[in-house]
Amino acid sequence: MNVLIGLITGMISGATPILLAALGGTFTFYAGIFNIAMEGMMLMAAFFAVLGSFFFHSWLIGLALAILGSLTLALIFILFSVRLETDEFVTGIALNLFALGITTYFLRQIFKVKGVFTSKSIVPVPQLNIPIIEKIPFVGPILSGRNLIVYIAVIATFFCYYLIFKTRFGLRVRGAGYNADSLDSSGVRTSRIRMQALLLCALFCGLGGAFLSLGYVTLFAENMTAGRGWISLAAIILVDGHPYGIAAISLLFGFFDGLGLFLQNYGVASQFTAMIPYIATLFALYVYARRVREKKGKRT
Amino acid sequence: MNDLIALHNIVKVYPPNVLAVDNVSVSFSKGEIHSIVGENGAGKSTLMKLLYGLVPFDSGRIEFGGVNVRFHKPGDAIAMGIGMVHQEIVLIPQYSVWENVVLGAEPIRSMGRIDSRAAIDAVRSKIEEFQFNLDPLAIVDDISVAARQKVEILKLLFRNVSVLILDEPTAVLTPQEIPQLFAELKRLRDRGHTILFISHRLDEVLELSDRITIMRKGRKVATVEASKTNKESLATMMVGRQVIFTSKRTPHRRGELVFEARHIEMERSDGLKLLDDVSFSVHAGEIVGIAGVEGNGQFELVNSIMGLEQPNRGSFLVKGRDITSLSILERRKLISFVPQDRGKMGASLSASILDNAIMTHHRLEKQFSRWHGLVLDYRKARDFVDMLKERFSIQMASRQSEFRSLSGGNQQKVILARELLLATPFFLMDQPTRGLDVGSIEYVHGEILAMREADRAVLLISADLEELFLVADRILVMHRGCIVADLMTEKTTIEEVGAYMLGGRASA
Amino acid sequence: MKRRLWSGLIGVVVALAVGALIMLAQGYRPFSTYAALFQFSLGGIGPFTTTLKNSVPLVLTGLSAAVAFASGPVNLGQPGQFVFGALAATIGGLYINLPAVLEIPLLLLLAIAGGALWSSIAAFLRRAFEMSEFIVTLMLNMIADFFTAWVIAFPLMDRKAYSPMTPQIVMNGWMPDLGLLSSSTLVMLGAVVLVWFVFHRWRAGYEWRMTGQNSVFARLGGCDIQRNFLAVMLVTGALAGLAGGLVVMAGPHRFIKGLGANYAWDGIMIAIMANNSIVGTLVYGVFIAAIQTGALGMELITNVPSEIAQVLQAVLVLIIVATREYTNVLLDRLSARRQAKERAA
Repeated sequence: MNVLIGLITGMISGATPILLAALGGTFTFYAGIFNIAMEGMMLMAAFFAVLGSFFFHSWLIGLALAILGSLTLALIFILFSVRLETDEFVTGIALNLFALGITTYFLRQIFKVKGVFTSKSIVPVPQLNIPIIEKIPFVGPILSGRNLIVYIAVIATFFCYYLIFKTRFGLRVRGAGYNADSLDSSGVRTSRIRMQALLLCALFCGLGGAFLSLGYVTLFAENMTAGRGWISLAAIILVDGHPYGIAAISLLFGFFDGLGLFLQNYGVASQFTAMIPYIATLFALYVYARRVREKKGKRT
Repeated sequence: MNDLIALHNIVKVYPPNVLAVDNVSVSFSKGEIHSIVGENGAGKSTLMKLLYGLVPFDSGRIEFGGVNVRFHKPGDAIAMGIGMVHQEIVLIPQYSVWENVVLGAEPIRSMGRIDSRAAIDAVRSKIEEFQFNLDPLAIVDDISVAARQKVEILKLLFRNVSVLILDEPTAVLTPQEIPQLFAELKRLRDRGHTILFISHRLDEVLELSDRITIMRKGRKVATVEASKTNKESLATMMVGRQVIFTSKRTPHRRGELVFEARHIEMERSDGLKLLDDVSFSVHAGEIVGIAGVEGNGQFELVNSIMGLEQPNRGSFLVKGRDITSLSILERRKLISFVPQDRGKMGASLSASILDNAIMTHHRLEKQFSRWHGLVLDYRKARDFVDMLKERFSIQMASRQSEFRSLSGGNQQKVILARELLLATPFFLMDQPTRGLDVGSIEYVHGEILAMREADRAVLLISADLEELFLVADRILVMHRGCIVADLMTEKTTIEEVGAYMLGGRASA
Repeated sequence: MKRRLWSGLIGVVVALAVGALIMLAQGYRPFSTYAALFQFSLGGIGPFTTTLKNSVPLVLTGLSAAVAFASGPVNLGQPGQFVFGALAATIGGLYINLPAVLEIPLLLLLAIAGGALWSSIAAFLRRAFEMSEFIVTLMLNMIADFFTAWVIAFPLMDRKAYSPMTPQIVMNGWMPDLGLLSSSTLVMLGAVVLVWFVFHRWRAGYEWRMTGQNSVFARLGGCDIQRNFLAVMLVTGALAGLAGGLVVMAGPHRFIKGLGANYAWDGIMIAIMANNSIVGTLVYGVFIAAIQTGALGMELITNVPSEIAQVLQAVLVLIIVATREYTNVLLDRLSARRQAKERAA
């Protein structure tokens, strides 16, 4: 029983950063931006979260700094991609490398370590125990006691759905992606909408990165995002951006993440269990490609 | 006449050095239909884009209602009551009619939530006010092109514009749909709106307009009253010399059967028939034209002949040989092809002129290969391009210049030359004169007729009925994937073809 | 061509300026830092040949990315193809012992095959199931990383070592030095020349370039898109694999943890800076190698952490690419404005 609960909570923890990054990426996806900088945004956020929490002894400040960190990256993206019209793919890759470089550099400069920084002084984001719910048998320990950011992520999913499909902003964001010329000739500046989408993306990636370093564990390791930004990109593509679909896929990946840890207890080498989420992504991509092919109608 | 809009000494240079508008001054009145004519590249579209704020101009000034204005984006122009409907319809196909109309001016409730009920009602009442016959809830992707055009106009009327700029609106309509549009425009004019109508179709312009401004090579030639001029003088002003409107086609006996399509069928995954039992033939020394509103299967037909797509049933034959399951390379040994879109299908804009010129030749002609086909003989390639330049009078800076540095006419010359020299029996051409100036159009028509003299078989897809009547021996009409008519050019009229294009008369 | 040189130079200068600002903010002196950087990488034959040797994996992975991007396939799998090439060469070097004149070509061939094998998986998945090679190669990178980590920690682990690594390969497989110059540098230069020829003079290269620029045009022209895709994936995988093999054979002579390090991503970045030009990749590759080589020495003298090299690199990519594109736009606009003034007068 405890094993099952552990598996499910592990799944939720694994899913959360992917969910948040993917939700952020949804805005840029709909807006028609080829945004691959989620990895970098999350990494910046993870580092600055630890920075803020360590030096100010407050997880709230850590969270704020995390969001500021990923916003910085988004601003650079906007400067290059939107203002200077640099290719989005190139900008994204360069920003990912920049984030990697600067976090590694600061890790060395500020914390004077290489590889990993951890300390008892880092204040983690707290868990939330919901009074009545936690008493419910079986689901109680799952639904209650999760990290604050997990609950934020759940609310965010519904919020994103509302924002994208029910509001004026959402109509314009999707318009920017479907046909930017049309939006421009309607009097709305596409570049402005895209900018707003990028900032929103940074906000969510900031939360996701903060969860990695202040919620999941309390430390910062070089390159600790470990490709999660890429997986969130895959998630967006697989469900065509729909927030509810993203939630489902993220849970799936979280499951595989947790499964990996679980299998380690049974002697499977850690390197193989670590591969699981990536193999799962390949499989999901296979299913997706199959579906696309069927939709097109099998013609050569 | 009271001038509503006045343009003074407008100059626009597109980077790096394309002079699009050269010191133009012109004015438009309230409550008139004013057409701006000129051939492709004359600057009429650009002039309107400058007025509208889509593109910034370099010098000059614009007066609206007596006040100097400068629009930095379309939103500014719309706010002052000027709206533009572009040549390419810029709607969002995934959205419904009402969503497209209110985009940018959406009625909202609390928290930014769209008030869809209010929006739909508002759109519906506008539709009724102008008698447009549209369903606000229809998805734009599903409605006809003429209907989409109406949605674009509606979008502007929704924002209460008093000036409507229309850029080549009849290019996407059948002859039968045009009178309805004209009636609607005249009604708007009678209500006090100003219509600016950009076109190169002189008959239409003469029928519709109050006044006409003629542009040539970025300059204004003259502004005349429609009632006081005629087609010939307009054309002369447009081109700068006498233009001949009659056909240069002389009788030519057709030869053996070269190309055959037999019962071609193609379905979309949801069952919609894209090509429905298409059968026809083309003989040597014959030019067969295919007319039809875009989107009735012509593109799918071209793609399946070339091998980009496969039909579900049926076969194509060239000189008796079944090519339906051959690779594209094999087909190219028999078929030359000038595609619809120079940039997207006929060339690589960023590659050099030389690289573009040797495509397909590099595989089919041994003279270009060394070392058993592994290495390309660039010396022979250079000679080839020099020969092309000489023989077809192509203006280029150097062989190594980027293809996109060539003018539209010269680009088409390179593509045409490349395909002509493949020495195949069958030539497929899709909208070969689109976007070209009159001189280049005449040149291309000359080359097509020369192919006919040389006993090649030519299949010409064109949306320009005048062109088909000038050049083709036979005209087929496509409608909803079927060939609905097979007419001898001598024995039919533009009106009859137009009727078939709309599907009015089903053929036996 | 001239414009490209100018925008490249301007980009480098601006990027170095930004780097200087970062250093100033940290309290270091940029001028002496840069001086130390370039002294340790380019100041003399010794440093220069070291820089060249260090540029080998960068240039080769850069070539892999450049050829792929310019031909259509989005091959981002250089990291994975790199380690598989390295692994293949290592395995060969552990179990096969031939005279050097045979061993070295054999190991190089194994490296090439290893890289090509890994990229062929992505090619196959694309061909058979239309799975985007963009995502597949990225996932395969992580899988390759973990797989090789397991290999050097278990089956091939050197029991005597203190951290996971394989034993050393036989000495006959070590890339010899010709004086100060490493033979791996010569292999790299040979590869650059060969790749240039294939890309710009061979029929295959012509078709790859045309396909990369406009695949519909190439298809209509009779090019076999599927076959070319496979060929490009194999060739570029091979190049990345070769890089991996050379790093093992000319460096630690064994597969150690973190071998791939960031070579492959740096290579991708270099290809982007060079706008997929083959000669440009060589030039930028050596330049980046200079920064990385110099950074270690620089740290000894000025105490600036060598990690700043990574930051500098990323800044370089962004600025060079942005400058290149923006300079073109600016110059065009200036020329247009000049002409407009003439007409209005």
